[in-house]
Amino acid sequence: MRFLRPRVGAMLRSQPHRRRMLALALAALGLFLASHVQAENSAIRIGAPLPLTGALSPEGLKLQQGYELWKDVVNAAGGINVGGTKRLVEIVYYDYQSATPKAVQLAEKLATDDKVDFMFSPFGSGATKAASTVSERYGIPTIAPTASSAEVYDQGYKNLFGTFTDNSTLSEPMTDIAKAKAPKVQRIAILARNDLYPLALGQEFEKSGKKRGFEIVYFGKYAINTLDHASALTEIKGANPDWIVATGYINDMILIRKQMADLGAKAQVVTMINAPAYQEFIDATGPLAENVTSATWWHPAEHYQSKDAFGSTEHYTELFQNKFKSLPDFTNATGSASGVVLQMAIEKAGSTDRAKVREALAAGGFDTFFGPLSFNAAGQATSYVPPVFQIQRGKAVVIYPDAIKAGDLQLGVQ
Amino acid sequence: MRRALLLGGLAVLALALAALPFMSGNYLVRLATIAFMYVVLASSWNIIGGLAGYPSFASAAFFGLGAYGSAIVRAHAALPLAWCAGALTASLFALLIGPAILRLRGHYFAVASLVLAPVLRELVNGATDLTGGGMGLTLPGSTALSVDATARLYYAVMLAAAVGTVLFTILILSSRLGWALRCIEQNEDASTVLGVNTLTAKVAAFVASAAPAGLAGAIYATWIGYIDPTDVFDDLLSVKPIVMAFLGGVGTIAGPVFGAAIFVALEELVWRNVLNFHAGILGIIIVCLLVFIPGGLGSFRHAAARVRALASKQTNGTARVRSAA
Repeated sequence: MRFLRPRVGAMLRSQPHRRRMLALALAALGLFLASHVQAENSAIRIGAPLPLTGALSPEGLKLQQGYELWKDVVNAAGGINVGGTKRLVEIVYYDYQSATPKAVQLAEKLATDDKVDFMFSPFGSGATKAASTVSERYGIPTIAPTASSAEVYDQGYKNLFGTFTDNSTLSEPMTDIAKAKAPKVQRIAILARNDLYPLALGQEFEKSGKKRGFEIVYFGKYAINTLDHASALTEIKGANPDWIVATGYINDMILIRKQMADLGAKAQVVTMINAPAYQEFIDATGPLAENVTSATWWHPAEHYQSKDAFGSTEHYTELFQNKFKSLPDFTNATGSASGVVLQMAIEKAGSTDRAKVREALAAGGFDTFFGPLSFNAAGQATSYVPPVFQIQRGKAVVIYPDAIKAGDLQLGVQ
Repeated sequence: MRRALLLGGLAVLALALAALPFMSGNYLVRLATIAFMYVVLASSWNIIGGLAGYPSFASAAFFGLGAYGSAIVRAHAALPLAWCAGALTASLFALLIGPAILRLRGHYFAVASLVLAPVLRELVNGATDLTGGGMGLTLPGSTALSVDATARLYYAVMLAAAVGTVLFTILILSSRLGWALRCIEQNEDASTVLGVNTLTAKVAAFVASAAPAGLAGAIYATWIGYIDPTDVFDDLLSVKPIVMAFLGGVGTIAGPVFGAAIFVALEELVWRNVLNFHAGILGIIIVCLLVFIPGGLGSFRHAAARVRALASKQTNGTARVRSAA
């Protein structure tokens, strides 16, 4: 370094050099500023705190896939049409390590440091609720992709819009169908994973069942990471239920289904949420998957024609498969749907002004590949019916709602 | 002279802390609030871990109990009452469990204290009717206050808790209990011979360590507004305060305070610059710090004193010092 200094000094001392250097520096500065200003003009920045490591990382990565697919499709088409000018989308990701306090902290960082225009909520109802305080504080319209519990939306906030309908929209139609199609089914056994959403869902099934005069003969919870369900299933078998409901994630469901067969726990109806929607479940359990019912907010077997960036559910599924070599599930889809809703609201508002976009979001009426999306006064989606389906001959067949159904409820699970 | 300097420094610090929430963005205010929370946890750990020399991993248990205690009371009562309930829950738990596990020493005590948080986590998970189980608990938000005011309120409350914990430690250190604890730290058998009721002193220290940690958990719960068992009984809540105390200097008053501040600052700095491998880098930095300055930052003062002593002796020109050096 030292041997350079005299030469630079000499250069600066000679007048022509000095001027040229100054001009160069100014030009560089100008270029830098111009590019910076242009970047700020062109890209719409969206903040997305995600659990990319830790216990929730599988779900976090799925959400990110959903966001990325939407971003790629939109940017490939030149960006979002904001009142006639196309602006690209930029998503700022942070990993909150599956820790809720860190998610809130990062939401605050996205709002103040990164100055994002809009936000996507962290994963799950709890973290979404905790972080929604930040969006509300800074008036940032925020799409919640994975918050289904009604309590998330009860704070009177104006900036939170969730794509998932309430948990009861999964349990209500299922109990209706059982009541109508299987009059002999009376006794329900429920086994729920002791975790925010699966447990809440189990409780919804208990409520919906009681409301329709079913008898709840067993309600059990299993801990996260349980590797042996034998004792719970033996109790269930002893309770002699007509209908077994199990909630949890795919690995839990595969294990429970296999152990049910080992122990000879049978029932007329077996409902498992969320796993049977995935091909992995059918592959892993083989003939045991037959006649298992399930419900979810979105399934690739749906056929929505949409006015969004994807055009239809089929086209979305195709694009997803091309990019990630697997079938999209409801977590992937809700990530993409969050982007789609935000995009449609911006285009409708013709501006990225937060107040105008918030108004457009609240007005609703978005036709998406995920289903028609409108939000109630609290901000939760109420506009579509989550499908109920059953595995029949190794395929997921939609049995509800009537508009898209491809089969009827079959009784008897081995 | 030194006293005046210390008082002057404290006055400047107090002014800076008072001005911070009005001068800076809410993100910095949040970071500072988190730092205060860790000051409480590290200082409270210091009472049992530093003064008495008992390697406790119970901070997470106290923190979680405080959080759930306050969350359950908060549904029916005002904020200050909820905070008191949190501190009380943790203290009662320490009072009940202390006499049992404080009879163990060294590694055995460490392991016994380590399992408290997981056991409580499972209990809370199971008691769905009271705690919401794995669904967590949502606390009622304070709708009366503006969002900026809420940020400042929790900044102030957490700061007060941190200052209170430090004063509490000073009080203990200068009391008979403080003497007893330091005797136990030096040699427990010898202190029994001297007439110290070691079990009583240790239980008192355990409870004194639990109350501030429970309070921190209580304030945290009302601040974040949503708690679940994995968040508030997180094992890292036991480990981080210990690392902070070691960074700053175990068994001193100021050590845990500086340790917590440095840890939070380091964590933020590393996280901002190394997005993909931040946890790993932070771990490496901490291991290096602990290996190369095992006495924490406090050891710098001793080192400075030694250098000064050496320098003054050298000016005297004695050959003895030179040969020793």
